[in-house]
Amino acid sequence: MKELNLTKVEHLHNNADVINFENINKTFGSVVANKDISINLKKGEILALLGENGSGKSTLMNLLSGIYQPDSGFIYINGQLVTIKCPEDAIKFGIGMIHQHFKLVDVMSAKENILIGRKEKKNVEKNINELMDKYGLIVPIDKYVRQMTVSEKQTLEIIKVLYGGASILILDEPTAVLTPQEIEKLFAILKKMKEKGQSIIIITHKLNEVMEISDRVTVLRKGEHIKTVVTSETNPIELTELMVGASIDLNIARPVYENKKRILKCEHLTVIDKENVKKLNDVSFDLYGGEILGIAGISNSGQKELCEALAGLQAVNEGKVLYENVDLIGKKPREIFDMGVSMSFIPEDRLGMGLVADMGMVNNMILKDYYTQKGLFLNRKETRKKAKKVVEQLKIVTPSVDCPVKKLSGGNIQKVLLGRELDASPHVLITAYPVRGLDIGSSMTIFDKMNEQKMNGVGVIFIGEDLDMLIGISDRIMVLCNGKITGIVDSDIVTKDQLGLLMTGKVEMYV
Amino acid sequence: MKKRVLAMVLGLTMLVSIFAVGCTKDEAKADFKAGFVYIGPTNDNGWTTAHDVARLELEKQLGIETAYVELVAEDEAAVKDAVTNLIDVGCNIIFTTSFGYMEPTVALAAEYPDLYFLHCSGYMMSENLGTYFGRIYEPRFLSGIVAGMKTTSNEIGYVAAMNIPEVVRGINAFTLGVKMVNPDATVNVRWTNTWIDPAKAKEAAEALLAEGCDVITQHQDSPGPLIAAEEKGAFAIGYDYPLTDVAPGSYMTAPVFNWSVYYVDIVKQIMDGKFVSASYWEGLNSGVVALAPMTDLVPAEAKTLVNEYEAKIKDGSFFVFEGEIKDNTGAVKVPAGTKMTDGEMLSMDWFVEGVKSN
Amino acid sequence: MFRIAKRGETNNRQALMFRLLGIFGALLVTSVIVMFMDHNPFDVLFSMVKGAFASKIRIENTIVKAVPLAITAIGISIAFRMKFWNIGGEGQIMMGAAAATYVALNYSSLPRIILLPLMFVTAFIFGGIWAVVPALFKVRFGTNETLFTLMMNYIALKLVGYFQYTAWKDPNGMGFPVIAKFEQSGYLPEVFGIHIGWIIAILIAVFIYLLVHHTKRGYEINVVGGSENTARYAGMKVGKIVVLSMLLSGGICGIAGFVQVSGVSHTLNVNTSGGVGFTAIIIAWLSKLNEGTIILVSILFAGMVQGGNYIQTAFQIPASVAQILQGIILLFVLGSEFFVQYKVFYNKKEVKKA
Ligand SMILES: Nc1ncnc2c1ncn2[C@@H]1O[C@H](COP(=O)(O)OP(=O)(O)OP(=O)(O)O)[C@@H](O)[C@H]1O
Ligand SMILES: [Mg+2]
Repeated sequence: MKELNLTKVEHLHNNADVINFENINKTFGSVVANKDISINLKKGEILALLGENGSGKSTLMNLLSGIYQPDSGFIYINGQLVTIKCPEDAIKFGIGMIHQHFKLVDVMSAKENILIGRKEKKNVEKNINELMDKYGLIVPIDKYVRQMTVSEKQTLEIIKVLYGGASILILDEPTAVLTPQEIEKLFAILKKMKEKGQSIIIITHKLNEVMEISDRVTVLRKGEHIKTVVTSETNPIELTELMVGASIDLNIARPVYENKKRILKCEHLTVIDKENVKKLNDVSFDLYGGEILGIAGISNSGQKELCEALAGLQAVNEGKVLYENVDLIGKKPREIFDMGVSMSFIPEDRLGMGLVADMGMVNNMILKDYYTQKGLFLNRKETRKKAKKVVEQLKIVTPSVDCPVKKLSGGNIQKVLLGRELDASPHVLITAYPVRGLDIGSSMTIFDKMNEQKMNGVGVIFIGEDLDMLIGISDRIMVLCNGKITGIVDSDIVTKDQLGLLMTGKVEMYV
Repeated sequence: MKKRVLAMVLGLTMLVSIFAVGCTKDEAKADFKAGFVYIGPTNDNGWTTAHDVARLELEKQLGIETAYVELVAEDEAAVKDAVTNLIDVGCNIIFTTSFGYMEPTVALAAEYPDLYFLHCSGYMMSENLGTYFGRIYEPRFLSGIVAGMKTTSNEIGYVAAMNIPEVVRGINAFTLGVKMVNPDATVNVRWTNTWIDPAKAKEAAEALLAEGCDVITQHQDSPGPLIAAEEKGAFAIGYDYPLTDVAPGSYMTAPVFNWSVYYVDIVKQIMDGKFVSASYWEGLNSGVVALAPMTDLVPAEAKTLVNEYEAKIKDGSFFVFEGEIKDNTGAVKVPAGTKMTDGEMLSMDWFVEGVKSN
Repeated sequence: MFRIAKRGETNNRQALMFRLLGIFGALLVTSVIVMFMDHNPFDVLFSMVKGAFASKIRIENTIVKAVPLAITAIGISIAFRMKFWNIGGEGQIMMGAAAATYVALNYSSLPRIILLPLMFVTAFIFGGIWAVVPALFKVRFGTNETLFTLMMNYIALKLVGYFQYTAWKDPNGMGFPVIAKFEQSGYLPEVFGIHIGWIIAILIAVFIYLLVHHTKRGYEINVVGGSENTARYAGMKVGKIVVLSMLLSGGICGIAGFVQVSGVSHTLNVNTSGGVGFTAIIIAWLSKLNEGTIILVSILFAGMVQGGNYIQTAFQIPASVAQILQGIILLFVLGSEFFVQYKVFYNKKEVKKA
């Protein structure tokens, strides 16, 4: 396998290109995902792939990793025409793809995962360690995957493909589920890999990341290749325009709602998990109608438990959640939902919770209120109308409202989920990572929607990772560290650095 | 690549069609066609083989067409299915050859009053449904003589199917034969609850052999017990159909059926328009049952004795179930000097002295 | 080296091609075998179709065979919708049949109009219980339903064996191990010459179609099948839904048993289920759990068996060969479905060092 790497220079199509796409077309039924795309990846560069949700980025990369085959067009690797029939082929050609949904085995250790499907026994640990040293990757190799953080899992995936001899690395939205610190670490790794001659394609929706990490940017729009530009010669405004085809305002508005009233009061919430770890430790705060309360924290600081406790999905060991003077603790999820508390949690695995992948939009939109219908039968007429409305408002790209959501692009799947929660006209809206994986335009739409809710007097809890966004949209920000509140601050006066310190628990601050 | 496959496939299809033209069969038409329903496969080397050999003989002797369906379960749906298919291909005389087919056959006979039904080994009759069977207890008795003289351990094994009068009668006749020549011997019965399951039959025989039996006989449609005996170096008496080659080191003889005697006879009657529903139950005299030729493993004096008794049964001077006969609890069932009636024999549900049944 | 990978996408034209190729291949291979038996393959294959559908009696036979297949496949499809792998159809049929038989034998004096519904209900309950037990264990203790339902088959079979050979053995059977035949009151009436099992099958199909696609309960079943986490998130009681749906799934299989004993055999024996519970799994899968398709596929399946029996009689082909022919046809049908969903390719020594 190794001989396929970069040794056959004399046959290269173009000496500097490791990958050439030539006139690639790919359709799914009536959907044109890729249309006549010709792009290249140079040796030792980082190419960013940019485009709106559903513009065909993942599809193009999946052609490279052997998951799909092009309808027409050619792929050259190191100048040689290749057909990539399956993921194993891709590995043979030195292509390693890190999917957004990791493909690791939970019950195995890091080392075992790296060695899946390989025969060698000797010097394994030494080789892995050398590899980690070379690129500055750090993963405890005997740790079990199920005990790992997202970032560790991602690093492990990278080690795995590098160990498999990959010289071309493709990362599909690797940063969507990482905290800013973790993103920094990842970028350091990528830069190091680039230095060592690896070529990298990275998909991301965050323009600051594109500017920071990439050498060139390829922009797709509605399946077509619009333009490839050199990063140092462009700026976020131009990129957005290329992406959307028009200029959009990237400033997040923060209107003020005058008549704030307390709507939710959390008192001493404590959640202890099976391993006796305090996931929430004496958490007390108030939420006002007409405000957006941001919640910051490094990953796994109790955000998920907090959301689920409020929504009735998590058993609580201690504490109260008073909603209009009624304690929500001990109530069933449906009772809570009926009272007007709506929660949307965008998990790391988008399809894992909240959506049924095989069902269409209509069936997914009816999920939470189907039981309120009278009688035995289920009437979908209203929901169908709603679904169509959501498609329009959030610009969801889908062939029809009955098309199984698993066939939508990552960002569009998410919009379905958000559309449903926003449509439930709640009094309290809890939303975690709502813009994970959304393109700029869609993120703006979602923020607008959140502001709209806020101005209707809804109390909004917004859990996020990106500090700029948190500061931009929230009225106040609460910081969690290890399940404890380390600060509740006014976003008008707090700085990113201060938030960073709060998140690591080094200081506490209340305003 | 794909094109080549396609070409190959097309070529093959053409080949198929050429062959196809060459082998069309012309169909002979006859007024009567006999259909047979079998419980086992035609090559079970036992019950079904005996019927199927007779079917071919019937074809040969009368020149009529026949058809059969094999492996038909003793279940109304299965029997109905098989018979309607037979009727569908033109059969108008239907032989159903297992006891368990009785109820379905009765129902079918009522459903198709114009056709002739003949059921083997049952007791229910109607206008167009007759029954037939052989007095296999006669050759069974003779085979008992062989077993009684051959055994040295005085333990004889009997692999039996269902606990019904037909089987019980066979066990008793056999045991009477054994006891006549060897009063110390015991006949040990093992039930399989199935007519045809070669593996189960063999297992039962193996268990009997392990308990010390040195001669094995059977009421099973398959030669499983013969094979078990051969493997253990014991001796065996078959059933239904003479089989010398399956267990040459063990096989001694077998009570067998020559169904063609009946089949030819009854079909002739039907063809001549002389059919009357009747219950046919004949013995050694008619030839429908017999003791298969005895191999060299049978002691000479046994051969003489068997021949003597065969003659006696044929000329009526000896009757198998004539008193005094005691059952295996010691009670007298048939007083000295009386013969059992057909009715008594057909409903026999007790074992004679010397039978050990679990 | 051959390798197999799931198709990332399905392509309708390709799917159609594989299915046609499957049919074609089946015809070709069966033809060759038939030729080796010295029969004209066209005659035999044509007769197979003829034997299944070409006369009233044959159509009747085919439909009688299709009825239990269709009912059971629909029953199983409910479980499959939830990704609950119920391979216990066989046992559920047996228990339904046994329950119906018990009622038919012991309450034969009741008028038919009361007796039959009573048999229907008990068959449903007992078939249902046979499926609920593994469901409860799965919900409570996380046991594997595949193994559990399979084991339940054997228990049911042994139970029926015990009934037939011992407990319910007909005292008038002259010792023969059979259960007595039902009185006329326990017989399903006939419509168009076929017992009304076919109407029951159609009604069940319509009922389940409505349930699954147009009711709240059905919606819950689909959500649980799609993602248990999502179902929980939506506030559904997953355990309760699984158990109740399995009651329905097993209950319907039990009704297949009732139809078999009341409509066809008029008694119970160890052959009553006759592999229907397993064949129905294939039918449910091939039909993609679609109720209408299930009925159609069941008829085709029954036709294949009926046609197989017919050629056996008509051409005096041994039963074993007829079964091989059926097996080959099935293999090709399943094979083509496999190729619709997976791709297999041959890897030459990769990229020669040019
Ligand atoms: N398996 C599939 N079947 C049908 N349509 C598909 C399939 N995969 C992708 N599509 C469609 O192809 C289009 C491009 O999808 P793709 O996933 O490549 O978008 P993307 O650029 O990665 O978007 P996102 O930023 O939301 O991840 C979308 O309209 C999507 O609905
Ligand atoms: Mg994508």
